[in-house]
Amino acid sequence: MKESLMDVICCPLDKADLELDVDERDDEEILEGTLTCTECDEVYPIEDGIPNLLPPDMREEEEEAAA
Amino acid sequence: MRRLGGIVTRLDRDGPTVYQPAEDSGLLAEAALETAHGRVLEVGTGSGWVAERIAAERGLRVVGSDRNPHAAREARGRGVEAVVADLLEPFRADAFDTVCFNPPYLPTDPENEWDDWMERALSGGESGRELIEPFLDDVGRVLAPDGVVLLLVSSLTGYEAVLALVEAAGFDHEVAVEESFPFETLSVLRLERRV
Repeated sequence: MKESLMDVICCPLDKADLELDVDERDDEEILEGTLTCTECDEVYPIEDGIPNLLPPDMREEEEEAAA
Repeated sequence: MRRLGGIVTRLDRDGPTVYQPAEDSGLLAEAALETAHGRVLEVGTGSGWVAERIAAERGLRVVGSDRNPHAAREARGRGVEAVVADLLEPFRADAFDTVCFNPPYLPTDPENEWDDWMERALSGGESGRELIEPFLDDVGRVLAPDGVVLLLVSSLTGYEAVLALVEAAGFDHEVAVEESFPFETLSVLRLERRV
């Protein structure tokens, strides 16, 4: 994801601001990292350049299905 | 049209499928190329084909979201800024000038749901409107003041019932493009907040 995506995304649960932590980036994009809600502290992963902003219950459901 | 034979044409490496561009995608792209302005969100971007065309041919910034992580990966592969999301949940208020949505719309008997990614890309639940309803309830929130929504509707989904939902959500509509096929008529509605 591009850093400018921060202008349009928020926590899916309470619509609060997210805080970006970058683990890996290239010239244009953040490839790995996390987005943490500044209100509820929920953590959303950024993997292979794609943020997963599904609410946690939906994300877990999918992780179980994929396992 | 959503012909099953034509749709399941491609398997991801790890199994699940991503809805590939069909007549409905073409129609949405046609309307979007004409109407889109400012910052664009395509909900349920699938393969990312529509989002990619808007970005390439109109030079606009387009974000593509999908519930299916395989779809998000495919869209990103086309250069679309991709997000895995449930409808409009993780998007900020007033963030987009244009929101496009080609929803899963086929009415599906719950007994016949087959519960995989392709089913989710196609099925609109028993009414065909199970995703259109929450989308219309929330889209006004993410839309900038002069924003416009482009929503693809099939006659199979109940055109009048969708118009009633559009009305109830506080939008005026006009038909941007429409095309008839042997089993359904597809329309792209252009929605603007009722003044």
